[in-house]
Amino acid sequence: MRTEEKLYTLRYKKDDKSHLAIKDVNTCLECTAKYGEPQPCVSICPANVFSWQNNRIVIGYENCVECGASRIACPYENIDWNYPRFGKGIALRYA
Amino acid sequence: MLDYDIVVVGAGPAGSAAALKAASEGKKVLVIERGPEPGSKNVSGAMIRKDYVTSVFGEDMPFERNVETIKLSLYNGNKPVNIEFHPEGLVTTGRLKFDKWLSSVSEKAGAMVIPKTTALKLNWENGIAKSLTTDRGEVSAKSFVLAEGVNSLVSMESGIKGDWTPENSVQAVKMVYSIKKGDLNTIFGFPDDNTGMSWRMIMTDPLVAGFMYTYKDSLAVGIGSPIKELVDRKIRPEKLLDDFLEMTGIAEKVKGYSLREYSAKIIPEGGFPDINVAKGNVYLCGDALGLVDPLTFDGITPAIASGIIAGEAAVYNYDKEIYRYNLMKNPEISKIAKERKLETDFMTGNKAGEYINMVSSMLEGWASGDLMGIRNTMVSNYRNLIPDLMTFVMRMR
Repeated sequence: MRTEEKLYTLRYKKDDKSHLAIKDVNTCLECTAKYGEPQPCVSICPANVFSWQNNRIVIGYENCVECGASRIACPYENIDWNYPRFGKGIALRYA
Repeated sequence: MLDYDIVVVGAGPAGSAAALKAASEGKKVLVIERGPEPGSKNVSGAMIRKDYVTSVFGEDMPFERNVETIKLSLYNGNKPVNIEFHPEGLVTTGRLKFDKWLSSVSEKAGAMVIPKTTALKLNWENGIAKSLTTDRGEVSAKSFVLAEGVNSLVSMESGIKGDWTPENSVQAVKMVYSIKKGDLNTIFGFPDDNTGMSWRMIMTDPLVAGFMYTYKDSLAVGIGSPIKELVDRKIRPEKLLDDFLEMTGIAEKVKGYSLREYSAKIIPEGGFPDINVAKGNVYLCGDALGLVDPLTFDGITPAIASGIIAGEAAVYNYDKEIYRYNLMKNPEISKIAKERKLETDFMTGNKAGEYINMVSSMLEGWASGDLMGIRNTMVSNYRNLIPDLMTFVMRMR
C-alpha cells in the first residue's frame, strides 16, 4: 500500500500556514554531500513529507502525521518544527 | 488576560492526572489541548492496567478487550521462539475514547479544558514563569504543568530540557485494521467479544520491537525501531512495518480487511532521571520526561503517576529537588529509571541480539531435551548476560 493511501485514512484539517520549515537551504546541500540520498529527514519520515527536488528539500506539510522524527533525525537541527495551530492537522480516532 | 492558579499543557494521561489532582485540591485549573479533542493527537502501542487507572480516575473506564493472553516472540532469523503469559487486569483501549474520559474526569473535579489551542511559550521573570502564550492568546498562572508529550516544544523553548537524539529515541509506526468482532473472534479463537490478546515481537538487525493487539472490532499492529539505526542504514520505517507484517504472518491475517488508520509516534528511550524535571514553578511529567517503560512500551501508567505528582507539586509549589525526589519515590517511575542502563545497552550495543540468540538457543535446547546445550549456553554467558537476561524476560511481561 502506498503512503498516500495510508494517509487517506486520517481525518485532517489543513492549516494555511506550514508548521514545518527548513531553516537554511544551504545546510541541506551540506547534508546531502555528507549523507547522500535519501537524506535523514526523507528517510525517517513515515508520511513522505520531505522530498529532494532541484537541490532542495521540499516540504509537503499537509502529509505530516506530527510524530517529530524528522526534527530529531536532522543532523544539523535544520528543521523548524512546530505543531499546527488552532487544533488543525491530524485528528486520530482509533490509535 | 485569563488568570488561573495552575495551567496544564496537554490533556493526555499525564495532564489529566495533574489537572485532576490540582482541581481536587481546590485550585482553579486550566488545561489546554492542541488537538480538536483530548486523545486526537495521541498514539500508543501498549495495553493499560485497568486497576491502576481506576484507582486514580474511578470506575467506568472505556476499554476494548481484556488481554487474556500475551504472546512474546523472539525472532532469531525467521523462526521465532514463543513464550505465552496469562496476565490479569490488562486491557486494550483506543486513545480517543480513553483520553476523552480521563479529561472528563478532571473536568468533573473542576478543571477547565480548552481544546484546539497550542501552547507556544512560557514568559519568564527572574526564573519564575508568569504566563503562557498560546495561539489564542496569553494566560497567567501561579504554576504550570508541562504534560506536552514527547515533542516537548515548550519545555525545550524554556531551556528546561534538550531535544531527544537519534541515539535515545525510537520511531514507531502503527496501523489499525477494521475487522468485524465475529471475524476477529474466529481468527484468534476468542470465546467472546470481551476476550483479546496482545502479541509482542523482538527482532534484531535492525532492532525491531513489534506489537499486535486486538480492539473490539479492529486489530492494531506496529513496530518501533531506534532512529539512529534507521537513519544510518537508510531504512524506511514503513518498509520495516511491511516486512514485519509478512514475517509474522499478520499480513495474511489482515488480507481483505481495510486499513482504518495509520499513525506514527516517537518513543523516548532516555530522560528521567538524567534530565531536569522542573524549573521554578514549572513541572514536567509524562512523555516530556521520557517516562515510557522501555520494554513494555507502557507510557500511560508512568504518565498518570508522574501527572499526579506534578499536580501536587504545582499546588504546593515544591522546589524542583523535592519534585524529583517524589518522582523517584514512586515505584512506577523508579523502575523506569532503574532500567535506563539496560536500555542504553539495547539502543547502542548489540546486546538485544545477544539476548535473543541466547534465549532462543536455551529454549530450543530445553524443548528438544538438550540439557547439556542449555547448560553450555548458561555457563558461557553466565557472567555478563544471565542477570540482565532475567531482568529482560521478567520485564517483557
